[in-house]
Amino acid sequence: MEMCTVRLGSSIFGVPITHILEIVGAAKPQPVPLAPIFVGGLMHYRGDVLTTVSLRQLLDMPPKEGRQDLLVLESAGGIFGLLVDSVSEVLTVSSADYEPNPSILDERRALLFAGAYKLKDSLLVMLDPEQLDPMRLSATRAA
Amino acid sequence: MPEVSFRPDGKVGAMDELTREFLIESQEGLDRMERCLTDLEERPQDAGLIGDIFRSVHTIKGTTGFLGFKRLEKLAHAGENLLGLLREGKLTADRQLITGLLQLLDGLRSILKTIEADSNEGAGVDDVLIGWLEELQAPARAQQPAHAMAGAQTSAAPSTEAKVALPPAAREPAHFKPVEPVSAPAVPASAAPASAVPVPAAQAPAAPAPAAQAPAAQAPAAPAEVVSEPARPRIQGSAAESTLRVDVTLLNRMMNLVGELVLTRNQVLQATSSDPSMTMLSRRLDMVTADLRESVMKARMQPVSNIFSKMPRIVRDLSQSLERRVRLQVEGQDTELDKSLLEAIKDPLTHAVRNSLDHGIELPEVRRAAGKDPEGTLLLKASQEGSHVVIEVSDDGAGVNVEKVRQKAIERGLITADNAAHMAERELLQLVFLPGFSTAAAVTNVSGRGVGMDVVRTNVEKIGGKVEIDSRAGMGTTLRMRIPLTLAIIPALIVRSINQSFALPQGSLSELVHIPPEQAASAIEWIENAPLYRLRGQLLPLIFLDRLLMPGVAHKLSTERDNFIAVLDADGRRFGLVVDGLADPEEIVVKPLSAVLKGIGLFSGATVLGNADLALILDPGSIAMKAGISMREEEATRSGDGESEAGAAKGSEYLLVEVAGRQAAVALADVLRIEQLPLSRIEYIGSRPVLNFEGQLLPVEDSGGVLAAVEGNPQAKIIVVVCRDGNRQVGIAVSHVLDVASGGDLFEAGTVQRAGGVTLLKSRVTGLVDLSSVTPLPGGEQAPAEWSQITETVA
Repeated sequence: MEMCTVRLGSSIFGVPITHILEIVGAAKPQPVPLAPIFVGGLMHYRGDVLTTVSLRQLLDMPPKEGRQDLLVLESAGGIFGLLVDSVSEVLTVSSADYEPNPSILDERRALLFAGAYKLKDSLLVMLDPEQLDPMRLSATRAA
Repeated sequence: MPEVSFRPDGKVGAMDELTREFLIESQEGLDRMERCLTDLEERPQDAGLIGDIFRSVHTIKGTTGFLGFKRLEKLAHAGENLLGLLREGKLTADRQLITGLLQLLDGLRSILKTIEADSNEGAGVDDVLIGWLEELQAPARAQQPAHAMAGAQTSAAPSTEAKVALPPAAREPAHFKPVEPVSAPAVPASAAPASAVPVPAAQAPAAPAPAAQAPAAQAPAAPAEVVSEPARPRIQGSAAESTLRVDVTLLNRMMNLVGELVLTRNQVLQATSSDPSMTMLSRRLDMVTADLRESVMKARMQPVSNIFSKMPRIVRDLSQSLERRVRLQVEGQDTELDKSLLEAIKDPLTHAVRNSLDHGIELPEVRRAAGKDPEGTLLLKASQEGSHVVIEVSDDGAGVNVEKVRQKAIERGLITADNAAHMAERELLQLVFLPGFSTAAAVTNVSGRGVGMDVVRTNVEKIGGKVEIDSRAGMGTTLRMRIPLTLAIIPALIVRSINQSFALPQGSLSELVHIPPEQAASAIEWIENAPLYRLRGQLLPLIFLDRLLMPGVAHKLSTERDNFIAVLDADGRRFGLVVDGLADPEEIVVKPLSAVLKGIGLFSGATVLGNADLALILDPGSIAMKAGISMREEEATRSGDGESEAGAAKGSEYLLVEVAGRQAAVALADVLRIEQLPLSRIEYIGSRPVLNFEGQLLPVEDSGGVLAAVEGNPQAKIIVVVCRDGNRQVGIAVSHVLDVASGGDLFEAGTVQRAGGVTLLKSRVTGLVDLSSVTPLPGGEQAPAEWSQITETVA
């Protein structure tokens, strides 16, 4: 399975490349007033206006100044963007290294994370693109 | 092209080109067949129609064999057999047969849908349907023709409407009795239990069949008002000559690209506006882009007949199950509308039609008793009015029972009894659009429970349209939908707030007002915390956009900045939006927002500006609702005397105040301004409190003891409403200013005399402050010089 790694602070996360449409560096989303906290803003992408999700805000991490990269993802609900600190390389992981979510995870993370892969000297937490979809996020928030 | 791999179980390996083509062709063929079937019901002898129908089924059967769709093949085969007999004249196309064929059609359609979704035919079995189709071929029926036809032509008694219980595939097969053609009593279809016995008997002309089929003795059916259409609604398919079938996704993509082009054009125009050598080129680019845009929009236009064509079937089925007789008339089928908008109103239209049949058109007996033609008329009309298309669904039924609407609304707590008493009929009618509203005594399966007009309105408004209802008791109801011709590109004004640009659709904008900081204090009036601006005598509620978008953050006061007010009128809500700055108007391409952001309720979309920034598009109607701006009363609803006394302004608006715990009202037109001042500003002549205002002395009426309450505290803030009373000015001291509201007239019971001294504000009887009763100051108004004389005396 091929994963695109992204960095957020000191953590690395992985997104299966099957869901990734494109990677946009140095993204500058347009903020939306009164939007739910996880919304990073709007981006103009190939003729459409894309809603972006800020992984930082989603994981309750403090905001960070400076450059942000964007992953354009496709889920069952449509296309949206994921804002991260930076996008790194694509790794191939094997199911042998897979570990399911630990039970101590809080509810939100348990939903967003789909397990992890053991790397040489770190843990690559896998994100579930379907759960990152803004529609899904607002639904679970409302629930 | 990938190979078709079909397996014995009927599954197709992949949804390939061939299968896709087959699905499209077949679905079109079935649509055609449906239209032919409903036409056939009116003209059972029309060999051309029968031939068309036969061919549709035959073609499907042929291809299914090749593609390995066994289930389809079986079903189509059964249909073909039946149609063969029909074609040879061995059977008559009576209502039962037509119903059977329609069932066949539904069956074929549903299998096609399954194929489309799952790439296989699904596991269902069609034995019941096939069995029924075979029974319809039964020789016993073959003897019917002569009688049935004769019966149809001579039978005048509409009460002989025989119902055919339609057994859906799941039920047990119906049993046919060979019967003589009789005027059989009506068998209520809605009570169809599993063992229903369909009665094939002589029948009065079927539902959509116009009276034109009846014996010539009857006057020609075509009513005068249906000018352009023949008496029988022949819903056309689209003309086939010089047209091309284009994939909708391709059209959408073209639309998107044109949108991008428009945006890029905007950017180019902006970037080169200062360069004279570019002017000619820019202009040319502008023209070509506009032209291209128009052409692409035109390519997406489709005639409304595309959705109207589904109606005859619906009307037929419904009128049968509801036991009504309905004639469907259609006008303006060629009117065109953007494909996506057409799709969006399909459901509302269907719902409106169902509603008309269910609640509008009465049972034939009821109609006859009321002196109406037992056959009701349902008119579908489409026409273009400027930049909108108007679609009407009219019936000549019983009309909406306004009284019931009023009561239901009161029951549901939607309006108070007082308000209801004062609402004009027109206003009451629109209440049916409120969610959860349904006056149906028996909620039928047909129109659904409470899923009523509110869904129609929501869907229409979602695409930028409006819907309203018009009704006359005993005469009929008309539902009118106004749809914009196209949605994607609109003229907008760009405004600035919180350091961002926003787009304001020009459709709701009526004017712009600029208030520089130094004028803000006097121009903007405050009621408690609500800002108002007096625009040509009328108070306009103001909304500060920056405060709305970033609540809880301190923003510059109106007196510290330039205030630009965009006067907006959205759906009857009038208000002024205060922004930090204005930019140029731009023609913007509306890009949809995801539902998550739409849910914020302030933005209707987003766009890319000429300077490449993203801007959110503001939705004036939602902004007004969110800020609690109430709807303006329509002039049409003003009942009672046309011209009220001079005191009451147009619309009888009042300033609602609270004085020592009691509410009172002052006619807004008399209010000059509202002052908030420290107690120390109040001066006294004797024991009379007065206010010295720009050289004028204002008697201050304090019957509520407001001043007394804060005696001894010179810094205490008091509120004085400064009013005009004839030639003078008076001030009324109040505890609070509550609101601006429209007052209703109260009438003395039993007379048409308007009760003086009171008004109906927010459903409470409220006393009117009688300005004339404020005692004039001794000696009238005095100039400052004389005033100082008096103070010396008093002091």
